[in-house]
Amino acid sequence: MEDKKKKKSSAKTLQTAREAGNFGKKILTSAREAAEAGRPVVWAMVDWWLGTTIAKAMGMEICYPENYGALCAAMRKAEPYLDYAEGDGVPNTTCGYARNCIGYTRKLKENNFVIPEDAPGGGMPKPLFLLACGAACDARYKWFQSLGRYMDVPVWTLEFPQTGVMEYFMPGNKKDNITFMVQELRAFVSFLEKLLGKKMNWDNLEAKLDTLFKTHRLAYEVDLLRKAVPSPAVNTDFWALMIPHLYMPDDPEALEYYQRVYDEVKYKVDNKIGAVPNEKYRMIFSELPPWHTLGVFDEYAEKYGVAFAMESWNYHVPSPLPEDEKEKIHDPLELIATYSYHKFNEYAPVALEHRMEPSLFTAPYLKYVKDYRIDGLFAHPLISCRPATYTLMHLRNLLMEKFKIPSVIVEGDIVDIRVFNEEESHAKMEAFIETMDHYREIRKKEGFEW
Amino acid sequence: MTKLKGLARAAQIDKNREERAKEIKAEGGKVAGYFCCYPPLELMTALDYMPIRILGDMNEPLTEADSYLPTVMCCFYRSIMDIAMKGRYNYLDAFIGAHACDGAERVSYIWRSYLKSPCSFYLDIPHTNHAAAIEFFKKQLILLNGELEKTAGKTATAAMIREAVKLHNRQRAMVRQLYGLNRNDPPALSGSEMVQVLVAVMCIPVKEGNALLEEVIEEVRGRAKGPEKKKGRILIWGSLIDDTAMTKLIESCGLNIVIDDTAIGTRSFWVDVDETDDPYEGLAIRYLDKVVCPRTFRDTKNTRREDLDHRFGYMKEMIKGWGVNGVYFNIIRNCDPHGYEIPELRDYFEQMNLPVLVVEQDYATTALESLRTRFQAFAESIG
Repeated sequence: MEDKKKKKSSAKTLQTAREAGNFGKKILTSAREAAEAGRPVVWAMVDWWLGTTIAKAMGMEICYPENYGALCAAMRKAEPYLDYAEGDGVPNTTCGYARNCIGYTRKLKENNFVIPEDAPGGGMPKPLFLLACGAACDARYKWFQSLGRYMDVPVWTLEFPQTGVMEYFMPGNKKDNITFMVQELRAFVSFLEKLLGKKMNWDNLEAKLDTLFKTHRLAYEVDLLRKAVPSPAVNTDFWALMIPHLYMPDDPEALEYYQRVYDEVKYKVDNKIGAVPNEKYRMIFSELPPWHTLGVFDEYAEKYGVAFAMESWNYHVPSPLPEDEKEKIHDPLELIATYSYHKFNEYAPVALEHRMEPSLFTAPYLKYVKDYRIDGLFAHPLISCRPATYTLMHLRNLLMEKFKIPSVIVEGDIVDIRVFNEEESHAKMEAFIETMDHYREIRKKEGFEW
Repeated sequence: MTKLKGLARAAQIDKNREERAKEIKAEGGKVAGYFCCYPPLELMTALDYMPIRILGDMNEPLTEADSYLPTVMCCFYRSIMDIAMKGRYNYLDAFIGAHACDGAERVSYIWRSYLKSPCSFYLDIPHTNHAAAIEFFKKQLILLNGELEKTAGKTATAAMIREAVKLHNRQRAMVRQLYGLNRNDPPALSGSEMVQVLVAVMCIPVKEGNALLEEVIEEVRGRAKGPEKKKGRILIWGSLIDDTAMTKLIESCGLNIVIDDTAIGTRSFWVDVDETDDPYEGLAIRYLDKVVCPRTFRDTKNTRREDLDHRFGYMKEMIKGWGVNGVYFNIIRNCDPHGYEIPELRDYFEQMNLPVLVVEQDYATTALESLRTRFQAFAESIG
């Protein structure tokens, strides 16, 4: 029983995915080396390449406390930090990543900002500033602001406008959104220049963007390859692969790595090698996983032949910007803003077609289920991450109404293992298999393609 | 509606919040429902919509919400979605969602997926008060106005908006006047009466609201007996309170609520719109920059102390001016903007030697009674 409890990481099906953890290590190692050498380190939220690309071009090393939260959870080392944060009065309903980080920061402070020896993954060094982001949720700027209680470092919040579907199509609105983002990026560059006492390295930024787009194109093509039946890769592979494309796509090492990922996936598609032997059901996962128990998906695959063919919209790269649109943009800040905005709005036409909202977190799935021939949705409401949870019931309704695709709802958390009942998840999945069979028949009768 | 006056009329409106809206609809008028305190009321009033603040219902069991929203989200917005799906807001001619917080944002989207109004707008609200953010917000307001005009069948001129600004500023001034009466000990108005008055003015046309406020101020000033003197004079900070069940519970535990910093209370009324040549300019500045809520990030200042004063210092005037001797943090469960502020703001008040009570509540009258002992203990800790 003890052994079973300990072994809950996923084996992953791609060889390249098994190597992806090295990128996570590289992030933390580079940050610690930079700190030791007296170079600036930033703690940043995932910002869909908006501000972190700029900060890196200025020579800053970035740590991602959200990713660190996932790492602590995967190592099952998060609980003490959660307790520490809650002990300081942070509600236990706030983001698990945030509580992990707040607890970690309190420990760091108590250790005079020397990384504690027992810090998972070697720990994150004290940052020069905190780069928050307005996209996706309130926690991602309120949490950094709250760290002021432990360390006196400035916070910069990146604006990331979020328009409604109908508003997206209003004349001039997209232009206004991007203009605003560019203005804010200019202000961010000024903030960095003042903080670092040096000028922006525009050539370096352009070089990083070039690498980023190349890495992302490969990541996008990997996503397209995953439409194949049987599925050449699954969710647990993706959650490893996302480290390089989400956090360091501008790194030449990530580009080289993604070429190998592409080659491996392409080989599997060409040779009809499925990630899950004897794939019987193709499911989709929304939105953030139980990092502490990813091995449960291996068990679903083994027991039921379930392949999670797609997952987690928010962490996939968008489709490449149309070349004609890209060619007209000569300002790298405008290019970044346009691309990040594109990430969050590219499914607006899908949302409009279905007369639904929002274009983020929900509309992408209405396309995915057709493209990836999905039999069922695995919805994972998170006790501590509302933005990844708010739309799950809505998505469940839409998939049933529009595509006769059923959902199974398994509650849990990204970090807090205390609220995830693995046995209950198995019981639900077991019952859900029959439900998927039932709706396959219905879809067939109603003329759906899958 | 029966012709009651002053506080009695406010209580009546509070009890029947949609009644005036429905009457106006029956008379051929239009009603615009909006989320939180960020959509400018002036734009609605200028086009002859009656603005009505969309609220939840603490007395209504959640029986529909689960089909649309998971249980872990903001209890207030879950309640809103619940009663909306039961048809409570079917009369709206315009729905104005708002990116005030995650809850408001996501429920705006989900609302619009299921409930269709002739006019519907999602107002994006920047997270900062940077100059570019105000400029962007102004453009959003112009878009909002364009949508409202389509359904109103008329155009809002700058003069019409400026006139509406005057009316709403007048209302804000009267609300501040009303709060001012609570500087005395005992306060002139109970927290429960204040909730009734403020909810009432959010559910009737501005001119009627102003007339009601005149009556209330006159009545409160002239009445022989208001709330009893109590040891505790508290400030309520945090998520909104829109039901007197909550305030009555607090007030029955030896505490007078004399001032607040909440979205139904002072945040909606504390500052005016400047009467600028371009009315959108004044509206954008007021609603984005001057309304102070934790949802808006304000750039970090040079020192920790400066930063805290910049974010929370405005409440020092409330503490001093209203003789506050205790602070209650009212947190509707799963409210992130307020939740993350708790440790810092608690420290801030405790450094002022003010006791702080933090309660996460579920926005349901059925869940309140268990809080009584906590309020009683808090009252005993004051003084």
